[in-house]
Amino acid sequence: MLRYLLQRGASSLFALLIITVIVFSLSQLSGSPVDALLPDDATQEQIDIFIREWGLDQPLWKQYLTFLGNAVQGDFGVSLKWPGESAMGFVLDRMPATLRLGGLAILITLIIALPLGIAAAVYKGSAIDRIAQGFALLGQSMPNFWLGIVLIWIFSVWLGWLPTSGIGSFAHLILPAIAIAWFQISALARLTRSAMLEVLDAEYIKLARVKGVSEWAVVFKHALRNAAVVPLTYFGILAASILTGSVVIESVYSYPGMGWVAIEAIRGRDFPVVQAVIIAYAVIYMLSNLLVDLLYVIVNPRIKHG
Amino acid sequence: MKSRIADVTRGASKVFTAALLAGTILSTVNAQPAMAQSTVVVAVSPLGADSNLYWTTTGAFILPSLQTLVGQDPETGKYDNSQLAESWEHNEDFSSWTFRLHPEAKFNDDWGPVTSADVVHSFNLHIGDDAKLSGISQFREISVGAVDDHTVQFDLPAPDPNFLFSHAGRGSLAIYSKAQFDAEGIEGYEAAPAGSGPFRYEGRETGQSITFSTIADHWTGASPEFDEIQFRWVSEPSTRMAMLSAGEAHAVTLPRDLQDDAAEAGETVLASSEGAMQTTMLFTGQFMNPEAEENRDARSYAWADVRVREAMNRALDRDAILEALYGEGVRTLPVYTMDPRFPGYSEEIAARFDEAYGYDPERAMELLEEAGYPDNFENPKIPLVVTSLAGNPEFAQMAELVQAYFDIAGIQTEMREQDWATGNTAIRGFSADFVTPMRNAPVRPSALGVQIFFTSQASPHLDVGDPELNKLGADLVSETDPETRDAMLDQMFTRIFDSYAHLPMATVPASVVVNSDLVEGWTFPGTTSSGLSHFELIDLK
Repeated sequence: MLRYLLQRGASSLFALLIITVIVFSLSQLSGSPVDALLPDDATQEQIDIFIREWGLDQPLWKQYLTFLGNAVQGDFGVSLKWPGESAMGFVLDRMPATLRLGGLAILITLIIALPLGIAAAVYKGSAIDRIAQGFALLGQSMPNFWLGIVLIWIFSVWLGWLPTSGIGSFAHLILPAIAIAWFQISALARLTRSAMLEVLDAEYIKLARVKGVSEWAVVFKHALRNAAVVPLTYFGILAASILTGSVVIESVYSYPGMGWVAIEAIRGRDFPVVQAVIIAYAVIYMLSNLLVDLLYVIVNPRIKHG
Repeated sequence: MKSRIADVTRGASKVFTAALLAGTILSTVNAQPAMAQSTVVVAVSPLGADSNLYWTTTGAFILPSLQTLVGQDPETGKYDNSQLAESWEHNEDFSSWTFRLHPEAKFNDDWGPVTSADVVHSFNLHIGDDAKLSGISQFREISVGAVDDHTVQFDLPAPDPNFLFSHAGRGSLAIYSKAQFDAEGIEGYEAAPAGSGPFRYEGRETGQSITFSTIADHWTGASPEFDEIQFRWVSEPSTRMAMLSAGEAHAVTLPRDLQDDAAEAGETVLASSEGAMQTTMLFTGQFMNPEAEENRDARSYAWADVRVREAMNRALDRDAILEALYGEGVRTLPVYTMDPRFPGYSEEIAARFDEAYGYDPERAMELLEEAGYPDNFENPKIPLVVTSLAGNPEFAQMAELVQAYFDIAGIQTEMREQDWATGNTAIRGFSADFVTPMRNAPVRPSALGVQIFFTSQASPHLDVGDPELNKLGADLVSETDPETRDAMLDQMFTRIFDSYAHLPMATVPASVVVNSDLVEGWTFPGTTSSGLSHFELIDLK
């Protein structure tokens, strides 16, 4: 188990290193920081000083090592769009807002997707199943930014029930959380349904029914516990997807979380913050995957002996 | 079966009732209703930089609590004394400017009167190493001194007849309180900078909004008819429009297509009283330089041939293009950087525009044939830059429309998708070989603009390489006689016009969409970087 954990940790660190190379390379490819950071009418003297101060006159490998050394210490420099703010500090400041939104989205996903998936499997071929299938199809084919805008028009403009955008009260979380959760509900409901269908067809379930075990116990005690492996392992990916996938929705709802920071930093060519937010997302994603792997070991003992 | 249907119906009814109940609760408890009439909400795109230290931003937005030295009339855009300077004068050669401050001007929050010391202090902050303001580099060579408590003198290294522009539309210098700095340091400014404008800074939510309250009995006599004004930074235009429709915002900025939708929905589109921006498609490289250096040789570009340039201009149906891009209030621009508000404007050139630049695809094809296009050209394809720039979402569509018209005339094109900074890098590196959308915003004085975009005097990387223009540009720098300058500018614009040195497009007003139920009107000249100003004149219903 420990060996497996160490292996996974090492591969995660290696992946993070690769990500730093990609982040650094993309920053280099997206134009000179001189044009992004200095005023249009900057003099040659200003440009020269800037190039020296930022080490842009150094070989690329040296620039990368400097970047990596600073990144390890969490130092990505100072934000250009939000002057005076540390790039990583600013990103981390926004994290609680994203966690609140993501948390609610995950909650909505679980509350709707699991019962929907179970019901669709138990009542296979029924109206519930068809509704669940239709919902899943709709949810997975609808772009979330479009859904976000539609929800605003229905619930904020026409009905006037909820605010269009911003942050502040619980009401501000509802629409963006639904917009983020929509896709995940579809995905998780489908997974749960297919996993349950497989298990419900198993011999031991038939035996339980023959022995007169109540349908409730058959479904939730015997079937769900075994079928949960698939949705459980997907849950880690889902959590990471919801947190990182909030980029577009936070922008649509002008919700100042990490996703919003990512979009605004890219628009403002705020290199330090762009780099910081990508690394932060990468870490979140890798930790989630690591967690999933560990969960998988717990629910599937064959892995740790493999 | 009937009982199942009844169950389903009962279930649906419960769900519907629950939804209605939830909605009712939310609408009474949590929903953010339209802000009270006493708070005006203006929703705009987020700023390039979000800071109370104006000089660390690019100057896109001056906090309405702060003032500059020179104001502008809301209807004509002409310089006036509505800001801190009561009057001004310059020496004979425009190299020394003296501003007399309003003696009654004072900072809010009891930080005392506005004096020359505040101007000198603010100037020194603005030229610091952390300054990012557009146009600030020329300030670094200026010396400023207080003549007395209310008189301040700027000594320039070279004559600058357009110096007022820096203090008005360009907004290169916002006046902060020295007394506050002495008492609280830069942290005081970061927390709540005191200004002398008709609004008091109340606070900001990072990335979300910034709020100001109105000052009762302001020293200028300005008296807004609301208690607070809040600027909300909302990047998604559809969300801004929803805010307007939901009554959460009084005024929003919207791209053209959504403006039309908003107008159809009964909202009102208000345009600035004057042009806020000029747009063009600019040829890059020193294509008019007969002796271009090898590494900057633009003579191989197809647009180095004046007949091709004329053909490109005549291939464009500008009325249709401008209608598609901008709609109401837009005017055709005869020469980029020439503007009737500034010296150098030529009625004669404007009158000749239709004749020389009017849509005439047949003539365009004749000209191309005369030039032997495309066979006689090493690079017959015209690379058109498809790009976007904050505030100019129409630039990509502009390039596409130009391509469509070029195609009709038989001009070969190549669409180059690149971000603005990449294009800038190529232009600054003298390696640009494309035709790119460009803007002049706020509209600079003509004498300044023409030097930046066509000669080697201000931005050598934009120099078209024409010896005649460069000679006139060099002479203009040292010429101080207004009449002679006028005549020189006329010659420069005539030269640009006659040699088809660019593809002029439009003079565009700034526009804002207001909620028709809440706002009666708003007069603003469109002379600032964002195009919006004079918030105290928002007229509520």
